[in-house]
This record gives sequence, structure tokens and C-alpha cells, in this order.
Amino acid sequence: MTTVYGATVLEHFRRPRNQRRLERPTVAHEGYNPLCGDRVRVELEIDDGAVRNAAFTANACAICTAAASLLTVQITGASTREASLLSDAAMLAALGGELPPARLACATLPLRAMRTALAALPAPA
Amino acid sequence: MADFIEQIESLRGQERRVAMATLVAARGGSPRPLGAKMFVGEGGRLLGSVSIGGCVDARVVEEGERLLRENRAQRVTVTVDDVEAIELGLNCGAEFDLLIEPVRLDGPDPAVAAYEEATRISRSGRAAFVVTTQEGNDAPGRLVLPDACDVVTAGGFVERIAPADTLVLVGASDVAAALARFATALGMRVVVVDGRERYATRARFGSAAELLVGMPSELVRPHLTAGAFLVLAAHDYKYELPVLRDALRSPVRYVGMLAGRKRADGVRALLRDDGLTEAELGRLHAPIGLDIGGREPEEIALSIAAQLVAVREGKPIARR
Repeated sequence: MTTVYGATVLEHFRRPRNQRRLERPTVAHEGYNPLCGDRVRVELEIDDGAVRNAAFTANACAICTAAASLLTVQITGASTREASLLSDAAMLAALGGELPPARLACATLPLRAMRTALAALPAPA
Repeated sequence: MADFIEQIESLRGQERRVAMATLVAARGGSPRPLGAKMFVGEGGRLLGSVSIGGCVDARVVEEGERLLRENRAQRVTVTVDDVEAIELGLNCGAEFDLLIEPVRLDGPDPAVAAYEEATRISRSGRAAFVVTTQEGNDAPGRLVLPDACDVVTAGGFVERIAPADTLVLVGASDVAAALARFATALGMRVVVVDGRERYATRARFGSAAELLVGMPSELVRPHLTAGAFLVLAAHDYKYELPVLRDALRSPVRYVGMLAGRKRADGVRALLRDDGLTEAELGRLHAPIGLDIGGREPEEIALSIAAQLVAVREGKPIARR
């Protein structure tokens, strides 16, 4: 039997990491899916070109919430360049399970929110 | 249940003067609360009621028209003593005291000004008190007090003009749209919250006081106040879980969720895992509404509206 929710999705949905507000985020962006109503806000604290803290707030489905949780774990400590290069495929692979095509947008919504947030950073001198 | 300003505005421009009848005392029971008002227009228009229609309101029309002609105020006692009704065993045996007074709508009027001031205070979220005194055929005198403490020494007939109850609807579904219409008619102030701007639109929620689009759990938080009613009509856990985590620990008066029994139990189980106590979970009305068997959005909304009224009136609610 295939399952939409792999163990990673279930684990991160039930025990999300970094689900909170940052006191002073350097950049933040709230992404949403206008059809299903998923909403996720990614907040990043950037210091010296690296992601010192990453956090999220979500009113979203299990896949989207798990993806946001996993994303914040993956990018904490990474350089902003490494974070911006994180691909959709890498996120889907990390989530595991058998996501149907209709749910891919849920899985990548946090990633898109993070990219938009990072795009607001001033270009390095 | 329009408030005083809405009632007066609906009459202004159509009537120059109206007789305003206020229920100031009732013996033997009353279907309407003290302070209930009925307006009898010089041009024949009627608005509001001091009973539930029938013989009492008919007497108010008669007395109102007389007092408009005589241009004076009077405290009138209406006894439900219709002989025919008594012989048939259909009389209710009640007696009502009504203050009936002519008020101007085409210019300044002290009674209208007093109630408008009280209504403006209540619209700001605070209760206001109107104290009315009247002797013989004199025009009534009125005092508007924003603080209950001052009422004790004021004497007279006291009306509390309470702020409208707030109904927060999470999920701008068709059931929510129908419920917003019912709730507005019941005098509630409706706040609609959704994450989807295509759903939470003015076209779908014409009567809503506020339409909020964004992160529902955050938008709802300032409205989770004592006395507020919260209905989750999204039928989607993505909004239900984050909103309920806060709502069931808040002083909000009522929390209901659109869900069948099985799904409701599933939501409770997830919230229990999140650390909510049985007492907190016990506050959730799900399935929501009175069981009247309806399936259409309007029918479901009607069952929810009926439950909200029951809660507002302090009636015990059977859990479904």
C-alpha cells in the first residue's frame, strides 16, 4: 500500500520543529495557496551571510506543515546561498512518501516562501 | 435585531414623528425583555414590537396614534384581558406597562439623542445605561450613563444597552455565509476569518462587520474574548487545529466546529496529544448545532444559530 504521509511527514506534522515567531527576523515571507488555503510564514534571522535562526508559522495541511518544519531544520546554519539553492526535488525526497501531483504545491510552499524572503536581502557588496 | 440607531435611520426620511413605546414593566411573564421598543409612525409605519405581536402590539398602535395626536407622553398599562380569549382558555394573563412618547425624527429630539448616544457607546464595545424618569404627563427625562456604578443612585427605569455579541466565523464556507446572515439578524456582530481571499468576500458576506484574510489562528486571537462566540466552519483541520489550540484555552463563551462525530473525535484526539485537557476539550461543541436533520447550508446554519441563541439565553445544551 502506498501512503501519502511517510514517517517523516507524520513526525514533523505532529512534532513540528521551529514552529514559533522570531523576535527580530531579518527577513520573512508569508506564502499561501489561494485554492486550498494553506498559509505558511517563514522567518529567517541572517547573520554574516548565514541563517542563524529559521522559524515558521503555519495554518496548513500536514504535508505543508511538515515541509516547513523540515525546511527550518535543513537551513539553520546554512549559508543563504546554500539555502536558496535547496531544490524542490530535494525537499520532496526529504519528505519521503508518495506525494500525489496535486499535493506537490503543498510540499514546496514553505520553500517558495523562503526563497521570496531571501530575495529581499540586499545583494552582497 | 437592529440596534436603536439602525431602527431610527430606517424610519427617518419616511416619518416626521413616531410614537416610541418602551416596555418598562411586565407582570405575569413577558416574551420580550424590558426595554423592548415599538415605533408607530405618524404616516402609519410600524417597526419593532414590545410583545410577540397579537393583542398587545395592536393596543400599542392604538395608544401610540392617540398620543401622537395629543402630542404627549403617557405610561400606559395593557392588560391581556380579552374576554373571548379568557373563555377559550387562550389568554396569557399578562399585564404590561409601556411608556409611550412622541419623538421627532425631522429634527433634534432628546429621547432619540439619548438612545443614539447609548448605542454609540455600546458599539464601541462597552455597555451603556439609559435612565428614564417620568411623572404624570410630563415628557420623560433621560440620563445616559457609561458606568453601572452611577445607575444605583439615578433611580427611574434603567435600560442596559449592551454591546452586540461577537460571532467569529473561521472558514468562509457556504454554511458560514448563511450563518452570518442569521447571526446578523439576531443582532450579532459577525467577524469572518479565512486564509483564502476568494472565499472571504464582501459579495458572500455582505452583513459581516469584518472580513479578515490571512493566518486564521493569528487573526482570531484578538477576538477570543469573554462573551464572544466562535464557530469553525472551515471543515478543514489546517485551520481547526491551530485555532482550537488557543480558543479552547481562552475565555471565549462558545466554541463550535462543523464536523461529524467521527471527525470531531479525531480532532479531539490530536488536540489531546497536543496537551489540551479533557476540561478544555469538553468545551468544544462538535457536532455543532441542534439536531434538526437539515443538510443544506442554510439548514445547517439554522441549527447552529438556534444553538447560539440557546447558549445566549443560558439554556442547557444536549451534547450530540
